[in-house]
Amino acid sequence: MNVLEISRLAFVVAFYLYCLSFIFYVVAVTGKTWRNRDPVRHERKWGTVSFVTSSLGLLSHFIYCGTRWAYSGHIPVSNMYEFMTFLSMMVMLAFTVIFLIYRKILIGMFALPVAIIIMAYAAVFPKDVQPLIPSLQSIWLYIHVTLAATGEAFFAIGFAAGLMYLLRTVEFDKQDKSSLRQKRWLEFTLYSIIIVLGFVISVYGFRAANYEAVFVQNTTVIDSEVQEDSTIERIVYNLPPIVAPDDSKPEYIDSFLGLKFPWFEAPSWMKGEQAGRQLNTVIWAVVTGTLLYFLLRLLLRKPLSRLIAPTLKSLDPDDLDEISYRSIAIGFPIFTLGALVFAMIWAQQAWGRFWGWDPKEVWALITWLFYSAYLHLRLSRGFQGRQSSWLAVIGFIVVMFTLIGVNLIIAGLHSYAGVD
Amino acid sequence: MGKARRPVQIVILLFIIVLGGYAIGSTVFGDHKGRPTQGSTSPDFKLLGMDGSVHSLKEYRGKAVVINFWATWCTYCVSEMPALQAQWEKWRDQDVVMLGINTGEDRLTVDRFVKQVGVDFPILLDSQNEAVQKYGIVPMPTTFFVDKKGSIVSIHEGELDLTMLDEQIGKLVEP
Amino acid sequence: MIQNTKCECGHQNRVGTVLCEACGKPLYDSDQSTEPLEMRYDGVARRSQKSNPNFIDRIWNFFSSVKVAVYLIIITLVGAIFGTVFEQESNFVYFDPSTFYKQKYGTIGDIYYKLGLSHTYESWWFVTLLVMIGASLVICSLDRVLPLYKALSRQKIRKHRQFLIRQRVVYEAPVENLTEGWIPRAVISLKKKGYRVKHDEDALLAEKQRFSRWGPYIIHIGLIIFLLAVLFRGLPGLQIDKHYWFPEGEVTKIPESNLYLKNEGFTVEYYPEEELPEKFRESGRVVPKLFETKAVLYQCTADCDDPSKEPVLEEVKRHDIRVNDPLNYNGFKVYQFDFDLTPKLRSVTPSLVRADTGESYGKFKLSMTNSEETYQVGPYTLELSNKYMDFDLNEEGKPVSKSKDPNAPAFLFVIKGPDLPEAGVQYIYFPKQIDKERFQQDAINKRLGGLDSGLALDVLGMEDVDFIASSSYLNIRVDRAMPFVWIGLGIVMLGLVLGFYWHHRRIWLRLDGQTLILGAHTSKDWFGLRREVARFLQDMGVDVDEKHLENRGNQV
Repeated sequence: MNVLEISRLAFVVAFYLYCLSFIFYVVAVTGKTWRNRDPVRHERKWGTVSFVTSSLGLLSHFIYCGTRWAYSGHIPVSNMYEFMTFLSMMVMLAFTVIFLIYRKILIGMFALPVAIIIMAYAAVFPKDVQPLIPSLQSIWLYIHVTLAATGEAFFAIGFAAGLMYLLRTVEFDKQDKSSLRQKRWLEFTLYSIIIVLGFVISVYGFRAANYEAVFVQNTTVIDSEVQEDSTIERIVYNLPPIVAPDDSKPEYIDSFLGLKFPWFEAPSWMKGEQAGRQLNTVIWAVVTGTLLYFLLRLLLRKPLSRLIAPTLKSLDPDDLDEISYRSIAIGFPIFTLGALVFAMIWAQQAWGRFWGWDPKEVWALITWLFYSAYLHLRLSRGFQGRQSSWLAVIGFIVVMFTLIGVNLIIAGLHSYAGVD
Repeated sequence: MGKARRPVQIVILLFIIVLGGYAIGSTVFGDHKGRPTQGSTSPDFKLLGMDGSVHSLKEYRGKAVVINFWATWCTYCVSEMPALQAQWEKWRDQDVVMLGINTGEDRLTVDRFVKQVGVDFPILLDSQNEAVQKYGIVPMPTTFFVDKKGSIVSIHEGELDLTMLDEQIGKLVEP
Repeated sequence: MIQNTKCECGHQNRVGTVLCEACGKPLYDSDQSTEPLEMRYDGVARRSQKSNPNFIDRIWNFFSSVKVAVYLIIITLVGAIFGTVFEQESNFVYFDPSTFYKQKYGTIGDIYYKLGLSHTYESWWFVTLLVMIGASLVICSLDRVLPLYKALSRQKIRKHRQFLIRQRVVYEAPVENLTEGWIPRAVISLKKKGYRVKHDEDALLAEKQRFSRWGPYIIHIGLIIFLLAVLFRGLPGLQIDKHYWFPEGEVTKIPESNLYLKNEGFTVEYYPEEELPEKFRESGRVVPKLFETKAVLYQCTADCDDPSKEPVLEEVKRHDIRVNDPLNYNGFKVYQFDFDLTPKLRSVTPSLVRADTGESYGKFKLSMTNSEETYQVGPYTLELSNKYMDFDLNEEGKPVSKSKDPNAPAFLFVIKGPDLPEAGVQYIYFPKQIDKERFQQDAINKRLGGLDSGLALDVLGMEDVDFIASSSYLNIRVDRAMPFVWIGLGIVMLGLVLGFYWHHRRIWLRLDGQTLILGAHTSKDWFGLRREVARFLQDMGVDVDEKHLENRGNQV
C-alpha cells in the first residue's frame, strides 16, 4: 500500500467517522428525552462518545492531509478537491476549539453536517494529485490558503451556531408578519442545504451508473489581435444534459429514462470554463434537491425546521448567540491575515502588485467588509440575537460564493484553483 | 480639550477634504497609462541623429516642433514622408523644426531609406525605444505638434496629408 | 434643549453622558429597571455630542456615527460586487472597451460599459466611498478614543448600586460572615486570576487586559496608514510599472532608468510525464514546472546620457528570476511575466563560395542589427547596399520590409573584386533556406546579374547560425510606498489580535452591610467572564451556578 492509498483510505475513514459521530451527537442531544433515561448521565456519556468519534475522524483527516502532503511534496490545497477537503478539516478543527471552550455538544449536531457536506462536495472533484505550476510554488501558498481556510472555518461554526439560534427562537405558532418571514427564510436556508446534498447525490448517482454524454463545441476566442479564432472542443457530461453547451452539437448521449436530451442551450454570456456543463450540474442539483426536499416533507408531514427546532429547546439562545459571535470574532483576525494580508504579500511577490481587483480578491474583500459590518452592528444592542444570526448565515453564504461561486461563474487569475 | 476642539476639528476636516480631493481627482482626471496628452508638456529626449550628433528636444525650446514617429516598414509612414519634407521646406525658416524619430531600426536601414526618399530634416534614431516609451506610441505614424513653449498642441495618429500638416503647423506658428 | 446632567453624587456630566462619569449611575433610566446597561464607551459622551451643533459639527457628527460607517461599508461592498460581474478594463490591455463589452455580452455588456462599471474601482464614486470610509475611520476613532481613555483612566472604585446590578453579570446576595478580612482575601483571589485590583474598605474594582479596548482604534489607525500609503503610491516618481521584452543574450536598456538588464538565458521546464496524474497523461496535457530568466542587472556609470557613445556598464546584481522570486535591487524589482519561445535570427556567418566548384573564399559574420557596411572576404569586397528584416515585395514590385523583426531577413550586396565589373555585381542573400525558396533568391539574383559572377553566399553548417532562442517578458516595478502599506497592515493585525483575542474584564464589588453586590463587565466573551466570576465566588466560599450570574433584565 503506498502513501497515496493510505491517504485515500484515511479520507474515507474520516468521512465515515464524521457521519457516525453526527449520529452520536443526534443521539446525545435528542436521547435525553427518551424514556428511562437520566438526562444528565445520558448527555455526558453520549457527548463523550460523540466527541471522541469526531476527534478520531479529525485525526484520520489529519492523516489524509499529512500523507497526501508527503506523497505530492506540497500541501494539499492546490485544487478544488484538496481545498474543500482542507476546509472541512479546518471546520472540524474550529468546531473542536469552540467545543473545548463552550462544551456544548449541540454544536456538534450542526457543525458536523457542515463539515460532512463540504467534504462530500469536495469528493465530487477530480482527486488526482497534480504538480504545482510555477505561480503556486511559494511558501505563501501554505500560509495564505491554510489561514484563509481556518478563518472561513470559524465563520462556518458561526453560521452553524447562528442557524441553531434561529431554529431555537423561531416561533412556529405565531402568525404575525415577522414570524412568518422568519419561518419562510429558515425553511429556505434548509432547502438550500438540501440542494447541496442533491448536487452530491446526483453526481454520485450518475457516476456510479457511468453515465456519459459528449458534445462538440465551437468556441470562439478573441485573441490579442482581435481576430476570431475558432477551436473545437469536446465536452464530456457526466449528468444527463438538460443544457447543452453554447453553440455545440451532441456527439453521443447515453439514454436516461428514455428522455430526449438536451432541452436547451446555455446562454452565450455565461463565462468560466465549461459554463454549459456547470449550468447543467446546477440544474441537476436543484432538481434532485427539490425532489429530496419534497420527499422529506412528504414523509415528515411538516417543515424541516419544525422537525429540528424541538431538539434545541434545552439550549439557551443567548449562549448560541454568543458562540456564533465568538467564533466569528476568533475567525475574523485569522481571515484578515490569511485571506487579505498574506494574500497581498504573495501577490506582491508573484505578480508585483499587492492588489489587482481580481474577482477573487474583490470577493475576499467583500467577505471581509461584510464581517466588519457585522462586527460593527454587534456593537448596538438591536443587532444581537436574531439579526446578527441572520448576518452570520448570510456571511457564510458570501464565504461559500467567494470559494466556489467565483471559480464557477467568474473567471480570473485564481481560476487554477478550479474544477476541471 | 474644550477650547482647542474647534480648530482641531477644522484642521482634520480640511485634511480629509484635501487628501480626499486629491484621491478622487487623481483617479478621475489622472491619465492611467502615463502617456502625454494634448496640453501636457512634451517629454524631453536625447537621441542620436543621422548626422552623427546628439539631439535633445530641449535645445529646440523657443521653436515650434513637429515630432514624427516612423519606421521604414510602416507603409503610412513611408507615404507621408514627402508631405513632411514639403512642409519642412516651407516652414523651416519660420522657427519650425521637424524631427523624424525612427523607432528601433539600425543606422544602415534608416540611412538607405532616407537617401532613397530624399528627406533632409533631422532624423533621429531611437534604438532603445526610449522616446517611444516616453510618448506612449501605439500606432504608427504618430505625430506630435509642440508649440514654442514646449506644450503639446495636438497629437495625430495615422497618416498626415499636406493640407492637414500645413494647417497644424500654421497653428503652431501663430503667436 | 437643556438637560440636567448633574448626577445625584454631585458630579457634573457632559451632554450625551449616559452613565454618570463618577459613580456610574444611569442618568435617564428609572431606578426600578434591572435591564443590562448599555456599556458602550463606558457610557461617556462622545466628543461630538453637543447641545447645539453648527454646520461643522453636523459634518463631524455624520462621519462620527457608526451607523453611517456601516452604511458606507455596505454600499462599498455592493459597489464592489458590481465590478465583478464582467471583467474589468484594467485586466486586459489589448481590446477597445467601447466595442469589447457589446461584442462579448451584448446589450447588457454595453449598458455595463456605459454605466462605467467596466472600471468600477477607478470610478469617482467608488474612490469617494473609500475616501468617506477613511474620513469615518479618523473621525469615529477620535470621537471615541479620548473620552474612553479618560473614563477608563479615572475610574472610581465605588460605583452606584444601580450600576452594579444592571451589569450583565450580577450577583447580589447576603453573605455570611462578612468579616473585615473579606475584601483583602478577595483581592488576593482576583490577583491570582491576573486582575489589577483597587479597593477601599468595602468596595473593590478588579480589572484586566484593558489594552484590548484600544484594539479597534489600533485597527483604524492601521487602516488609515494603509489607505494613505495606497493614495501616495500614485505620486509621480514613487512608482514604475512597465513590461518589456528582453531577448536572450542581449543587454537591453530599461527605459527611463540608468539600468540595463541582460537576459542570459530563459528556461521553461515541464513536469515529466511520470509526475503527472494519469488523466493528464491520457489527454496529453503538459504542466509547466519552471519559468526562469537568468538575469544580470547593470548600472550605467559613464556616458549614460550620450547616445553617440557606448555606455559604460557595471554589474550590480545577478539573479535567476522566477515566478514568485523576483530580482530585487534596492526596491527596483523585476518579475517574470511572460515569454516567447520563437527563435529569432541574431546573426549568420555565411561563406563566400564559387557556385560551381564549391571553393570557399572565407566567411564573415553578418548580424541582423547594426550590420557592417562592408565586408572583406578573400579577394572580394562585399558592400551592403540595403537590407530588409522582413522581406516582401509591395504592389509595385519593390522590396520592402514588413516589420523590424528578422522574420525573413534579406541582404542586398554589391560584390566587387577580381574578374568582376568595376561597379560590382548585385547579389541578394536570404539567410533562411525557407525564404530562399519562397522569394526565389536565384531568380532575383538572375535579374540583378548576381549569378553572372559565379559567386554565392551560403551557410555551411549550423554553427554558422546564431539564434536568439527566446525572449523573456519581464515586469519592471518600483513601489516606494510599499513599506508603508505593510506597516499599515501590520498595525491592523496588531489591533485585531489585541482586540479579538484579549478581553477587557472588570469586576465591581461592594459590600452594603451584609450584602455582597457584584457586577462584572467584559468587552467580549461573557461565557468566560461568568465562569471566572463563579470561580472567584467559589474561592470566596459562595457557591453559585455560572448560569445564574447572568442578568437578562426584566424578561426573566
